[in-house]
Order: sequence, then C-alpha cells, then structure tokens
Amino acid sequence: MSQTRSSHLATFDRRAFFQRFGLVFSFLLLMIVLSALSERFLTPSNLMNVLRQATINGIVSVGMTIVILTGGIDLSVGSVLALSVTVGASLMKQGQPVAWAVGVALGTGTLLGVVNGLMITRAKIPPFIATLGMLTVARGLTLLYTQGQPITGLPAEFRWIGTGVVAGIPMPVILSLAVFALGWIFLTRTKYGAQIYLLGDNPTAARLAGVPTDRMTVLVYAISGFCAALAGLVLVARLDSAQPIIGQGYEFNAIAAVVVGGTSFSGGEGGLAGTLLGALLIETLNNGLNLLNVSPLWEQVVKGVVIALALLLYKVFSPPSK
Amino acid sequence: MLNGNHSSSFISFLRRTSTYLILLVILVWFALLSPEFLTVGNLLTIALQTSLVALVAIGMTLTIITGGIDLSVGSVAALSGALAAGLATRGGLGTYPGLLIGLLTGLGMGFLNGAMIVWGRIPPFVATLASMAIARGLTLVYTQGRPIAGLDKTFTFWGGQGALGIPVPVWVLIVVAFLAYFLLKHTPLGLHIYAVGGGEETTRLAGVNVGLVKFSVYLISGLCAALSGLILTARLWSAQPNIGVGLELDAIAAAVLGGTSLAGGVGGIPGTLAGAFIIGVLSNGLNLLEMPSYNQQVVKGMVFILAVMLDYFIKQRQAKPKGNPAD
Repeated sequence: MSQTRSSHLATFDRRAFFQRFGLVFSFLLLMIVLSALSERFLTPSNLMNVLRQATINGIVSVGMTIVILTGGIDLSVGSVLALSVTVGASLMKQGQPVAWAVGVALGTGTLLGVVNGLMITRAKIPPFIATLGMLTVARGLTLLYTQGQPITGLPAEFRWIGTGVVAGIPMPVILSLAVFALGWIFLTRTKYGAQIYLLGDNPTAARLAGVPTDRMTVLVYAISGFCAALAGLVLVARLDSAQPIIGQGYEFNAIAAVVVGGTSFSGGEGGLAGTLLGALLIETLNNGLNLLNVSPLWEQVVKGVVIALALLLYKVFSPPSK
Repeated sequence: MLNGNHSSSFISFLRRTSTYLILLVILVWFALLSPEFLTVGNLLTIALQTSLVALVAIGMTLTIITGGIDLSVGSVAALSGALAAGLATRGGLGTYPGLLIGLLTGLGMGFLNGAMIVWGRIPPFVATLASMAIARGLTLVYTQGRPIAGLDKTFTFWGGQGALGIPVPVWVLIVVAFLAYFLLKHTPLGLHIYAVGGGEETTRLAGVNVGLVKFSVYLISGLCAALSGLILTARLWSAQPNIGVGLELDAIAAAVLGGTSLAGGVGGIPGTLAGAFIIGVLSNGLNLLEMPSYNQQVVKGMVFILAVMLDYFIKQRQAKPKGNPAD
C-alpha cells in the first residue's frame, strides 16, 4: 500500500501548490484587509469567536471531505445530525447518564452512515440519491420523534461540551481541532487513508489492487455520520436546545468548506488541511462582514461568490486537462 | 445475483413503465382508502400543487440528461418572484414588465450557471451550489427578509383559476411540458442534449458545439425555475424571501423517480411528470388520510428509495442476458 500513497504525494503540480499556498495567501490577505478595516478584528476574543463559529461546520466538513475524496457525497449530514442529537437529548431528559446518551447519539449517527453506505454498495444507489433519501427519512423521523417540539433543559455536565473552557480555549474548538487531527492522521498516516485516495482516484484500479472498496465506502459514510452526530452534540450543548429543524442546510455549508479547501469533486484529490482553511475562510469572511456592519443578509451572496472564485482560481492554476 | 428466466420483453416493458405503474398503484391505493381522493376537485388540487415542482423538474431533467445538475433552482425561483413582485408594486412598473424581468432574472442566473460550467469548467454541482447561495442572498438583500405584498389582480391571475376550470399554473405546466418534450424528441438540440450526456468527448468530435448545448440547458432550467417562482408568488399573493428552499431536491427526486439517470444520457419529460405526480399524489393522499406531516416525510423518503431500488433491480434483470461485466 505504501506505493499507492507515494503516488498521490509525488505529483506536486501547480494545482497542489496553489491548493496548499494559494489558500493560505488568500486567507492571510483577507486577515490583513480586515485588520486594516476594523480594529476589533485582530483581537484575541474576536479571533476565538471566529474559531468557535467555525467549529460546527468544521466537524461536519471532516466527514464530508473523506466522503468526497472517495468520489461520493453525503447530503444527509444535516438530518443525521438532527436525528442523532434528538435521540441523545431525549435520553438525557429521561435521566439517563450523559455518557450513555452521548454514546447512543454518536452510535445513531454512525449507524445512519452505515445505512447510507449499504444503500450505495449493496443496492447500488448513487450516493447523491441514497443520501438524498436519507436526508428526507432522517428529518421525518426527527420531526416524528419530537412532534416538532424542541428539547431543552439539558444537564450541565453535558452542556460543558459546548460551553466549557479548558486552558482558555473553548471546548468546541478543542473538539473540532481534535477531529481534524484524527482525520488528518487517518487520511495521511494509515493504509486506509491511502486506500480512500486510491478509491476516489480510480475505483477499478483500487479493486484490482485489493482495496475492499465496499467496506471502505461503508466506512467513509459511517465516519461522516459520526462527525455529523458529534457536531450536533456540540451545537446542542452550546444552545441548550435540540430543535427538530436543527442542521437544515448544513450539507451545503460543509460542501462549501470542502470545495473552497480545494478537494476535487471527482474524488482522489485534496485533504483536510484545505478543508480546515476553507471552513475558517468562510467564517472569517462572515465575521468581517459583521464587524464592518454589512447586513447579514449579504452573507449568502458573499459565500456564493467566494465558492465560485475559489473554484475558478483552482481551474486557472491547474494544468490544462486532456 | 438475479437469474430470472422471464422473457426479456416483459422485463423491458416493466423497465419502460415502472414509473407509471408506481403512480397507478398509488392512485388506486388512495382511491380505495379515501372517498374524497378521486374527485375532480381533488385531482385539480393535486395538479395545481404538483405544477410548481413539475415546472422546475422539467428544466432539471434537461440539465441531468447532459450529465449536469442545477441546485440553484429554488433560489432562482425566489429571486425571480421577489424582483417581479417588487418591481411590479413598489417599483411602479406594473405587472407585465415585472413578470418579464422575473423571467429575465431566471435567464440571467441560467447564463451565470452556464458561464461558470462552460467557460470556467467548474463542475455543475458546485457551480450551481454557488449560484444557489448568490441568488438566495440577493433575494434576502432585495426583500430585506420581508415579504412583498400588494400584487394586483393581473399578477395573481397567474396563480388562480383559468379556462375550463383548470388552474392557470396547470395550463402553464402543460404548455412548458409540451415544448420541452418537443425540444427533446424532435429537434437537433434535443438530440445533442442526449448526446452530450451519453459521451461529451464523442459528441464534441462529432462536431457538436457542446458548450452551446450546456448553455441552453442551464438557460432553460433558469427560465423554468423563474416561471415556477412567479407562479408561486402569484398564488401566495406576495413574494416570500424563503420560498423554494429545498425545491431543487424535490425536482431532482421527480426526475430520478421518472427514470432520468444522474449519470446522464437517459431520461425524458413524461417520466419526470410522472415522478412529480408520484410526489404530489403521495402528499395529497397522505393528507386526506390525515397522516401527520411528520410521518409523511418518512413515507415519502422511503417510497423514493424503494422506487430507485426497484428501478435498479429491473435494470439489472434487463441487462442480464447481454452478459455480465466483471463484478
């Protein structure tokens, strides 16, 4: 497996260069511009704010990156997030131990991810369609289970996940950095990571090289489900409220971070470092607009323009294909 | 894994008609369960409710046949509705210039999508994801997040009752569906749309201007989305900034239920209409049976997955006699 990993690391083309440094430059440029425009931007509390805002989308994006690397997509993350936290929150309301409830919530997310993976590998439903079905079903189950009512008043020890501070750093930030670090190690330092890149690059070659493609596919969707559930727990712990419509549209935010981060939609190209920067870039922009007193109504426009610009730049800097 | 000895003509019959059979089964099922279901009034209600998704799904089908997708339709519908309503009322332009600008907005967004995909070589999924955010954002900025009311009768006419007791949106759907069907089946452009989805490089080598074909499908999709947005605005008697959220997913579901393959090259308007009506009939029937809306979403999601799986199994059976590629 070691030779397959070196194959994607060895191709150090202009695209990879731009992906690595172009994004960093854009990010730094944005930071400089915002610091010049607003003296409040470059303060520790504001920067921590940006980090905290980016955590939820960041955690979801880790799973999304891994799925997109295989050439797939997971549209169900927002609904899976909602169903998982609803199950977890209601267990806590019944007085079950917090650790058990958290475990069940994470298990629910993972299980739903496994179902996605099985629909894709066993029933041969395209990922887009399979996860679109899951999006509908999981959201419906959430609404059914909660009867449309939010679940609030969660135990303090659980809320610590979202509101706690360790060594001056908020828990959500610590958790999401940990998820990024684990994901990065998984992708770049284990044989499974190499197999995921190979699978996304060329499924047939991967199968011939002995990659258990079906099992890897189920695994990546399970990881995505797990990440969605974890992000949901952090969010609910912070808000102290599990709304049944929580997480709606999160799939698009995560895809935006992944895409701005330079992971290719056709699979096999990209990684978590880019996604981390992508998520931070989008959040920094939102924060900057906020500080500059631009109406939050502009947020979506800016997000769309940034996605389009990032993609155009990747195309400009990539070597001509074919 | 499926070793049926069924005659392949029966299987291919099933393959061609599975969407309609599903629709028929659902229709019969609801007719048996609810006496109110099979009345003219209720069927017209279904047609009216389905027309909004169906219009968008027609444009979506064209983009999917070329191997693309258009995620921006819901936002484009909202932006067109908002601009048309705003310019017709507080802009003082009147209804028809307002509606015209609404339609031009759809074309403009379609042009933006086409430009990003053809000239920028951005994958359709992310290009239209970007324009989805842009159009929704512009809608929020233009409306300031508030509805725009005060439409006059010439505007709301487009959402109301039309000739022969059939609602105007249904008439619009009939016209658009017919035009799209004609375009796909009886014009060179239609042939090229299928060809691009079947194999882009081959089509290019055959001398077809692939970029132009792609541009046209996104322009048409934008126009269909705008029509849907204008009609919904007329029906609601106001432009709501958050209409059309999730509309892209319904439209994709309708196209896929109708047998259009996301891989491109396969699909058609009659199937998409049947797909849209499966969704519409399900909502209506489950409502009549007084199923809570929460359960409905679960049922709809499961029907969607089952229909796609059924389609896959039928396809497998049909493909079997021709020899099985390496598994």
